[in-house]
Amino acid sequence: MDKTTQTLIRYEWKSFIRNRFQLLMLAAAFVFGMYAIYYGQSEINGQRQTIEAVTALEQKEFFEYKASFREELTTLEAEQTHDIASRPAYAWYRHGYHAILPPHDYAPLAIGQRDLFRYYYRLTGMSLHYQLFENELANPVNLMAGNFDLSFVLIYLFPLLIIAFCYGLFSAERENGTLALLQIQSVSIRKIILVRLAFYFTMVTGLALLISSIGLLTSGNPLAEENRLPAAAWITGVAAYCAFWFGLMFLIVSFRKNSSFNAISAAGCWLVFLIVVPALLNVLVTTKFPLSSTTLAGLMRRTSLENENDEEEAREVVMEFLAHTPKLAGSDSLLHNNLLSKAYAAFTSLKDINSKEAVDRYMAQVIRRNKWGARFHWLSPAINMQNLQTKMAKTDLHTFLLFHKALANFHESITDFYFSRLFWDKPIRQEDYSNLPVFEMSEIKDRWDAIRIGLSKIMLMAVLAFGIGYVKMK
Amino acid sequence: MRQVLLIAQKEIKVALREKLVVSLGAVTLLLLGVALYAGYVSYRQQQEIITETQAEKRKEWLNQGDKHPHIAAHYGTFVFKSKTVLSLFDFGLDAYTGTSVYLEAHYQHGFMFRPAQDHTSMIRFGELSAALVLQVLVPLLIIFLAFGAFTRERESGTLKLLMSQGISFRILTWGKIVAYGIILAVVLLPFVAGIFILSVSGIRQEVIPDVAFRALLLVLIYGVYLWLFISFSVWISLRSATGRNALLTLLTCWMFFAVLMPKTVANLSESFYSLPSMREFRARIQEDKRNGLDGKTPRSVRMARLEKAYLEKYRVDSVQQLPFNFEGVSMQAGEEHGNKVYDHHLGKLRETFHRQNRLRSIASLFNPYLAVQHLSMALSGTDMHTFIYFEEEVEDYRRELVRKMNKDMAENSRYGEFYGYKAQSDLWQEIDDFTYQTPTAPVLLQLYHLEILSLLFWMMSVFVLLNYSNRKMKPLHG
Repeated sequence: MDKTTQTLIRYEWKSFIRNRFQLLMLAAAFVFGMYAIYYGQSEINGQRQTIEAVTALEQKEFFEYKASFREELTTLEAEQTHDIASRPAYAWYRHGYHAILPPHDYAPLAIGQRDLFRYYYRLTGMSLHYQLFENELANPVNLMAGNFDLSFVLIYLFPLLIIAFCYGLFSAERENGTLALLQIQSVSIRKIILVRLAFYFTMVTGLALLISSIGLLTSGNPLAEENRLPAAAWITGVAAYCAFWFGLMFLIVSFRKNSSFNAISAAGCWLVFLIVVPALLNVLVTTKFPLSSTTLAGLMRRTSLENENDEEEAREVVMEFLAHTPKLAGSDSLLHNNLLSKAYAAFTSLKDINSKEAVDRYMAQVIRRNKWGARFHWLSPAINMQNLQTKMAKTDLHTFLLFHKALANFHESITDFYFSRLFWDKPIRQEDYSNLPVFEMSEIKDRWDAIRIGLSKIMLMAVLAFGIGYVKMK
Repeated sequence: MRQVLLIAQKEIKVALREKLVVSLGAVTLLLLGVALYAGYVSYRQQQEIITETQAEKRKEWLNQGDKHPHIAAHYGTFVFKSKTVLSLFDFGLDAYTGTSVYLEAHYQHGFMFRPAQDHTSMIRFGELSAALVLQVLVPLLIIFLAFGAFTRERESGTLKLLMSQGISFRILTWGKIVAYGIILAVVLLPFVAGIFILSVSGIRQEVIPDVAFRALLLVLIYGVYLWLFISFSVWISLRSATGRNALLTLLTCWMFFAVLMPKTVANLSESFYSLPSMREFRARIQEDKRNGLDGKTPRSVRMARLEKAYLEKYRVDSVQQLPFNFEGVSMQAGEEHGNKVYDHHLGKLRETFHRQNRLRSIASLFNPYLAVQHLSMALSGTDMHTFIYFEEEVEDYRRELVRKMNKDMAENSRYGEFYGYKAQSDLWQEIDDFTYQTPTAPVLLQLYHLEILSLLFWMMSVFVLLNYSNRKMKPLHG
């Protein structure tokens, strides 16, 4: 670092600590950051508590089933419990399993769509689609207002901070009459501006990284296996995003216009990136790919056999179901036992089989419209950043679509477990309880590729803005 | 008055010379057009599908074949939330309230499918609607237009010249406000005309009865809102030493009103009044349905009491001797018990919603943006109260449907012979198709008195501020 740079920095530091307003803004940003972290954690902790509660309920339910094998069945109630525990004809629609999407440690920092989707389901062997569509309770007004999480503070508020610090970098000198004094120095104006820019970059980005680090450290251990990569990506993303805004400010300043012009242009850019482009894209996605959930609503309907006393109807339903289910082929020789239960099981499964196509088509449309929308993310680093942060924190739409898929698989393993016993007339034994179906969810394969590409796009835009500014500033 | 107009004329000329402002105005107008068009397209698409599906579900209900009424009550039907024609102007909560609901016996299903669930998290930035443009973007345009109203005169020294010619601050201030008002009116005129034509004619509108009146009120409240911003901006300009200061102050206010405060208030309300999880909510209902709201009267006790009451009333020894099927009566009694329990818990839930939203209403006293946002949603029929009203209508419809099914079961079927009786399509016909109308604007607006008060309060405050400052300003030192 040469002497002039040191002088410039020293001068900047002096004027920085003297400017109470600027210090106040930084302090306010810090306070907002802390509140955002607190808010995010309290939201996600609420979800964790719900998850704990439902898990405890499930454990209690299955504990009672298991216990009924060991205890003497003295009361009617105990007998009933044992029936539910051991007879597949009762068990298949009574045993409830929870499929849970636990929050990632960093979900509090970017709540994303987690307040909008359900993250736990209780599934029985009954029709899957009857169990899927109930929403979590939420106040629509608050859903619309959105979450004040760290992601919001970084994406919305930090650019404003950067604008407030930088819009007068050049013009203020002219307006204060000090420009001429600077121009007669041996240092070039560009260098002065660059040093000042670097100074504020260190200050503001430093603050953003400090807040982020506090968020990352208090929400989970950044060194843990599943947190390492997201934490590193988060830090990189925050730095890149700040760099973009500084680059943009440098570009605006390089036009050497007055302060008001700079402020208006910068506010205009902020408006375009954070409000106009996303709002426009959203409305385009909605109208270009209209989706109507009305097609899915009908799947909720609870229907059953026309007449429970009609054996012929029951048989037909079971045979139709067996034709779809090679695993159970041959079990029709046992049909006379428990026919009604089998017919019900067959009936709801057939419903799922028949509606699978409609659900898949709908999900495919959801993916298609959002893929289209994602093609334009580069238009706004803010959209890009938000998308990346929800990806890092696993609160993005894709995670929930994957969860939905996993639910269907889980439901299949539940029905497999019970139907193989129901249709082959086998009881559920005590030892079967150590082999109960388990919920599993795979990881999105290209998650990190997408994050890498997204981050490089933000960096590229930062370099681009800065580069043009650098050339113009000459 | 002549002087005011003269000043206004000059101000308009100056504004038109500013290329940046003119182009921003053009962009705003373009966005307004796009928003309105997109709103219209999406309204048409959704409305078409909803009407179609609703008719289809109606047909399914009517042609469900012969079956026992209770099975029919479980077969049930669906209701889909229609979009109001004014929702093309303000989408309001439409993306976040559920759109369809399944109606069956014993169980109040919630509204399913929030349209925002079909979007990535980008949807949380908001959708471009005309309301968004008017609430968020146009105020910014006003700020850009008006921040220099006085500071420019001051910085170029023309303020002193004006004063020396005997022009008072009062005239100057009002001249400028009139000028910006005229500019804005001219820019927004095609839009206002467009929305009027769209909402009054063209589209058949059964859901929302008083569209024209509502449209008129919308114009009024947005007029007040934008006037507030103009006057406030001019006032800040009057009080600021430099244009830079005026601009920064105004931008900070805008940021605070339109971005920071709405989110903070929503989040605080969530922290103050927390909601139960759906699982908890359902579990409590389940528990009280089983054991009664007092926790001491299980189903068996309630049924025994009911049976005893009927046996005594009709002076018979067994339910089989009753002149109707007691199962139908007990079914309905169970249904009513369930409804009572549900109403109790839903009431508590709604109370929480209400408290959360009231916090926002109180906050609107300090923030005209919130006031206008709420009023605009209300008038467009996309607010929380309209949704709750709709929910209630749907639940009433469900109850009536189930009641009629149980009544038919009591009257026509025989005790213990569930599959012996089948009702026919004339019973299905007895259930009218679901129709619904939003409450009228005056009814709705009563729920928003805090917001209306807020606008009045802000209007008065700005008047007072302007008057006070106009009197106190000392031009030659300014």
